[in-house]
Amino acid sequence: MKHELELKVQAWVDGELPDVEARRIGQWIAENAEASALASELGCVRRAMSGGETLALLDDSRDFYWSKIQRQIEREAFVPSHDPLPWFARWRRYMAPACGALAMACLLTLSLRQAATPSFDEISSVGEGMEAVTFHDQSAQMTVVWLQNNGGPADNQAAPKIIRYEDEPGTVVDLE
Amino acid sequence: MRKAPRVLATAFFLFAAAAAASAADLKLEARLIWGANDEKGGPNCKPVDAVLASKLNRSFKWKGYFEITNEIASIPVNKTRDLRMSPECTLRIKNLGGSRVEINFIGQGKEVHKGSYTLAPPNWLVLGGDCTNNTAWFIGLRANDATSPNIITKN
Repeated sequence: MKHELELKVQAWVDGELPDVEARRIGQWIAENAEASALASELGCVRRAMSGGETLALLDDSRDFYWSKIQRQIEREAFVPSHDPLPWFARWRRYMAPACGALAMACLLTLSLRQAATPSFDEISSVGEGMEAVTFHDQSAQMTVVWLQNNGGPADNQAAPKIIRYEDEPGTVVDLE
Repeated sequence: MRKAPRVLATAFFLFAAAAAASAADLKLEARLIWGANDEKGGPNCKPVDAVLASKLNRSFKWKGYFEITNEIASIPVNKTRDLRMSPECTLRIKNLGGSRVEINFIGQGKEVHKGSYTLAPPNWLVLGGDCTNNTAWFIGLRANDATSPNIITKN
């Protein structure tokens, strides 16, 4: 007897078949000796089990209990792939963020250098007979270099004689 | 993880743009200004704009500031341009890169002043000195991003 027919017989014994099919299977069992023997055997087992089966008591509700089982099955069904990644995928995974961070760091450094470039780091020289006074008006965003005669003898040479260096606002250092 | 290439491309683009901007030509404007206590000036005198006039007024005693010359130049990196502000006064400006310039102020054919400065917009660099009749001259320099048809392209 095929396994499907055995299951049909078992379902008939358990009363799980629709009425029409139950009548058809019941007629077939009555006519088939092997099926009749199987139904008789299953009926005996059913009667024996119905009296000896212990009732399972659950702490959880029925729906919650089965949903836990379903979630556990779904978790175990998801098996991560262990296929080796191609080299470019591995490179992208680690190097791309690193390169991005490096590029951002370079950009930040560049912008900070430009923003932090002091506007008062003048290195200047004046012709002899002249002097320069440098001052910064931060609020007006203006640097002024005021040139004036220092009262000394005028010099026809254009070569500068004094190097003036201002390392911070208001601090002027003359270098001979 | 899928956003990483996009982030990388954006960062690279920004970095390249910043690098390109730092190596771009320096556009600057230079104004020769006359300062006097006469608030009306002469018939050919054009008052400087109110913003610059207020900046000069904060530091100097003169009441009126008048624009004599206004030049705009575009100077490539490591190149030098001469700006003739008046028949006696020339500015020789070299773009050192990174908003740095070397300025050689030549008056009546002689080097009067030479210096290296940072022209960081919107800051003004003003060279100045006394003039006759209790007046003064000023040369205002400022890096300027705006383009102008008056660009000087060669010496």
